Amino acid sequence: MMTNTEALKELIYKMADDQLILGHRNSEWTGFGPLLEEDIAFSSMAQDKVGQSYALYQILNDLGEGDPDTVAFMRNADQFHNSQLVELPNGEYDFSLVRHFLFDTAEAIRFQMLTNCSHEPLAQLANKIKGELRYHTMHADIWIKQLGRATEESVSKLQDSLDRLIPYAIGVFEPSPMEDQIIEDKIFEGEGKLRQQWEEAILVVISKTSLNLPDLSLVKPVYGGRVGQHTEHLQPLLDEMSEVFKIDPTADW
Amino acid sequence: MASLRCHFYLITYMESLDPRVNRLNLSTTELTSKAPLDQLGTYEVFSQLKEDKPYFHVGPVHAPNCEMAFLFAKEQFSRRQTCTGLFVVETRNIKVSVFTEGEDTVYNYISNPGELANGNTESFELFHLKKRGKQHEYIGTIEASSAEVALSMVKSEFINDKPVYNIWIIKTSDIESSQDEDKIIWDTLPDKKFRDAIAYKAADKIKEFKERQ
Repeated sequence: MMTNTEALKELIYKMADDQLILGHRNSEWTGFGPLLEEDIAFSSMAQDKVGQSYALYQILNDLGEGDPDTVAFMRNADQFHNSQLVELPNGEYDFSLVRHFLFDTAEAIRFQMLTNCSHEPLAQLANKIKGELRYHTMHADIWIKQLGRATEESVSKLQDSLDRLIPYAIGVFEPSPMEDQIIEDKIFEGEGKLRQQWEEAILVVISKTSLNLPDLSLVKPVYGGRVGQHTEHLQPLLDEMSEVFKIDPTADW
Repeated sequence: MASLRCHFYLITYMESLDPRVNRLNLSTTELTSKAPLDQLGTYEVFSQLKEDKPYFHVGPVHAPNCEMAFLFAKEQFSRRQTCTGLFVVETRNIKVSVFTEGEDTVYNYISNPGELANGNTESFELFHLKKRGKQHEYIGTIEASSAEVALSMVKSEFINDKPVYNIWIIKTSDIESSQDEDKIIWDTLPDKKFRDAIAYKAADKIKEFKERQ
């Protein structure tokens, strides 16, 4: 089947950039986690995300884009297609956990849909990383259930973060200008369908806690990330992430 | 704070926690509860390296409940090795025998059952320590009315000539295990060589760097 390469690339870029930026953000918790076991678990998942972004950049490379390191380290903020959700600073652990829950739930459903992608390498990757994503959502769900019904303080902290993050989380589903093409070419079932399944999935977990999910139909989504509009928090992250590469592009472990 | 906790620790658990102390006093009770290690509560983690290999003890994690213990155990104990299955059990739910050494098997100190299995039996998982300093390894499952009765039944069923230095017995219902549908969480472990120091071939570079100094 003839696939629309531009539409495919656009989809992969935004996925790869989401994974890379959130992977980097979450890795900032290394050494600061609330307990040693969680520090290791959260850091491992951050590493998984960076690994997944690498695999996606590799697919882009095979479609004619630059090599993964250059693409990851040499672009400026306005050339990144990640949602604003993933670039926000970590805040306290409740904030990072709620973001992890909201994002990873969407990500797992997206990759599940992509197991049927008409572009074979993307379908293969989606199948390969199913297990990693299963653990990530298992981790997120268990933490939200634990803290979402533990104490008054834990519930109110999660609720505040949830209220703050929901508009950004819906921003993840910012429709592409090539949405119809993507669906027609059986690349992906589309952001609208993803959002619908995501809403059902997060409600299943939230309803087992004392948290209240805001009325999602009334939320104004924070869009812009997919077309390179970002908060002031992204560029400093990129500067730090690419520091070594910019000093010595041949540096290797 | 630390010293206070230490103090509490010694008074409460010294008798059963320290094997050297246990060895001095072999003839008290046959089974004691394995003492928890910290205030959050600890869970012991058991891992299976390959589908047909027995589960063995890999270490403890701190957690507020079984579900979270499993969550932590997964990254803690499959980060640097392959894994095909994992389970956790609260530390206090492990029944521990006395310790022995040399040619002295712990089964020398297990008495015959006072009462055999009556109507209500449960299943118990049995673990042997076959070498001091190694980990406890799964041996078999026994239906019995209590851990004590299970222990006395083991004697006839699972013993060969080799000495066993310590026994753990766990009620099967106290175990939180990975589910079959979640088996995929182990899928990409063999690909994560970057987590091992051995994957980084740095020796030549270090040598070259030193020569340049």
